Amino acid sequence: MYGMIHRAMRQMVHEELGEEAWLALEQKLAIGPTELLTGMVYDDALTMQIVAEAAARLNLSVEQCLFAFGQYWVRFAGQGSLSSIMKFTGQNLASFISNLDRLHLAVGAAMPGARLPSFATLENAPGHLVVEYRSDRAGLESFVLGLLQGLMDRFQARGDIEVLHRGEKSILFDIRYQDRG
Amino acid sequence: MLISLSEKQIGALLPAFLHIDTQLNISAIGPGISRHLPHVRIGMPCDEAFHILNFDTAKFFHEGRDVQPVSLIARDGDIQLNGAAIFHEGGCLLAVRFAVSEEMFADSTMDLRDFGHADPVILSTMLIVLQRAMLEESQATAIELAHERQRSADLLERTSRLAGYMAHDFNNLLSIIRLNTDRLVRQFGKDAKIGKLANIIQEMASRGSDITQSLMTLSLQRTDTRQPLCMDAVINDNYGILDSVLGPNISLNLKLDADGRQTVVSYNDLLNALINLLINARQAMPLGGQIDVSTSVEAGPIHNDGAAHGAAPIPHIVIRIADTGTGMNPALLARAFEPQFSSKPNGTGLGLASVRNFAIETGGDVWLESIEGKGTTAYLRLPIAGQVAPMLDADIGAMPKNAPKVVCKQKILLVEDEPYALEALVEMLEAEGYAVTPCASGEEALVALAQEVYDVLLTDVVMPGQNGTEVAQLACTIHPSIKVILMSGYMPDSAALQPGWLFLHKPMESAKLLQLISA
Ligand code: HEM
Repeated sequence: MYGMIHRAMRQMVHEELGEEAWLALEQKLAIGPTELLTGMVYDDALTMQIVAEAAARLNLSVEQCLFAFGQYWVRFAGQGSLSSIMKFTGQNLASFISNLDRLHLAVGAAMPGARLPSFATLENAPGHLVVEYRSDRAGLESFVLGLLQGLMDRFQARGDIEVLHRGEKSILFDIRYQDRG
Repeated sequence: MLISLSEKQIGALLPAFLHIDTQLNISAIGPGISRHLPHVRIGMPCDEAFHILNFDTAKFFHEGRDVQPVSLIARDGDIQLNGAAIFHEGGCLLAVRFAVSEEMFADSTMDLRDFGHADPVILSTMLIVLQRAMLEESQATAIELAHERQRSADLLERTSRLAGYMAHDFNNLLSIIRLNTDRLVRQFGKDAKIGKLANIIQEMASRGSDITQSLMTLSLQRTDTRQPLCMDAVINDNYGILDSVLGPNISLNLKLDADGRQTVVSYNDLLNALINLLINARQAMPLGGQIDVSTSVEAGPIHNDGAAHGAAPIPHIVIRIADTGTGMNPALLARAFEPQFSSKPNGTGLGLASVRNFAIETGGDVWLESIEGKGTTAYLRLPIAGQVAPMLDADIGAMPKNAPKVVCKQKILLVEDEPYALEALVEMLEAEGYAVTPCASGEEALVALAQEVYDVLLTDVVMPGQNGTEVAQLACTIHPSIKVILMSGYMPDSAALQPGWLFLHKPMESAKLLQLISA
């Protein structure tokens, strides 16, 4: 994945465990600043190695760490120079999710070689969404759950996310929520 | 009619569209208008809600156009809409969109819903914002990389400095072993067994010295010795190297008349300086030819500190390197020794600058004389060993061609903080007939210097308290004619060395030391 994702992972470890912990992780994986170049595409295997190593240090399973990272990513993107584009993507949960593909369309144009997911809102009723996530990658269910949870947090919504169906290249999520607590 | 679209479908394509009837009343609005201009209602006269910028509203439907560019500004608030007015029988579709600015991204209440799916302006504005974010991150990344490189460089520097210290300390130990083995041989060497064992120790000490040598090379420490060298011999001995520097089209012609005179330099530095001057000459001779290298002995003031006037004449060896190349114009000539200045397309500009540093460090000077189209001559002047003090022209002829051999009962002030090395050196020098005053520190040496006049100061460099170069500096101030020999595991910074001081690299051989004292 893009180095931007690795940098967000580093930021999360920094915030949770401090800089030393990240440096130890770098040492363990024999990586350094050259594996954190924003605009570089790295092998997903390296990204997963970083996640696994961070999980061990955060005392989480890999799945829990992916979830935590998904949640964190929404916060990370919501700060700094990406914040305006996050705000522009949508100002409530349903509209944000329905615009995610448009966001990633721009991401794809800015970051050639990115393999981006697709999110389709199949049902949109007050307090209820059915969202289909499609990707050519496997194994990111917990990450997406974390992202969706992060989005609920972002819009101060409370509720539950469940997996309705797992397909070969897609997962259906059922989101039941209440807006603004 | 190609297709007919529902209001909802038009709203998905153009969320901020408006429709007006032939009376100029608003008859339909897109979802974006409802969200951001809630006071705009169906049935309302259009110009009550908007300024229509490029139309005369009175003649709106009278000009019989199909499609016309249009801009609207909401009367209430600062929202602007741009697009096209599409006329048809029942009225006009204002196919407009909210005007986009980058600020809008940061602080407006609008979002992607308010723009059509295929809106290229939105896509490109998002692209710009994303690329700016990436650029910011990339700048942070570049700074991190620069820090990392600095950290690695610092680490390398620290490691090599450490290697240098270790080599220095180890050299000191090897020096003690060598000196004391020499002592052993002197006292008991007649016994064949002891002689053999001493040889083994000496051999091992020299292997150890090879290892420290590599360690020092690794740590970029200089491992050479500063000693009196016979200029003509150095040039003669290196004829092969010097000639090969010039390549096949240029021949090297030597005319050496320095009469065996010596100059105190590091062998490598001297050779480097000659090679740099030859490279410079070669580069000026693309068509080949001959380069003359000649030496002679002269006297005159040395101009190495920019204060030539009033400088005392010093006997020196002059090395002339004359090419028959392209020559230089006065502007080039004036800048030739500037670091990083080069007139050649792929020159580094470091060659001549390093020659000048070398000349200055050795107490000499260097300059070029050139005639455009005819060639350049480089003059490198280096003081004759033991003659740094002022001397008149007349003295030159009277100078002995070979330095006198050991003058016995010469007084040596010996400074060494390693007691075993001190002991061995004292014994060896006394055995050679010198009168030695041993001092275990720089401070002791200063006391001794104040009380007596010495012929030679032989001092270690790295010592706690007053170090060897400081002692040497004071010794030269008190007794300008004193011969200074520094000995150390590594060569001090050349800025700390005065021209004419000799430098002996530890671990040293007794024979080499005796040779330097008597030279
Ligand atoms: C400004 C905000 C965002 C940016 C710049 C961004 C950018 C990216 C990038 C660069 C990748 C990696 C693609 C690759 O390297 O192959 C990615 C992947 C992904 N993004 Fe986003 N993203 C953003 C917001 C979001 C949000 C809010 C979600 C929430 C659902 C999301 C969901 C995903 C998922 C699930 C992936 C994994 C790719 C896969 O499943 O194959 N992204 N995104």
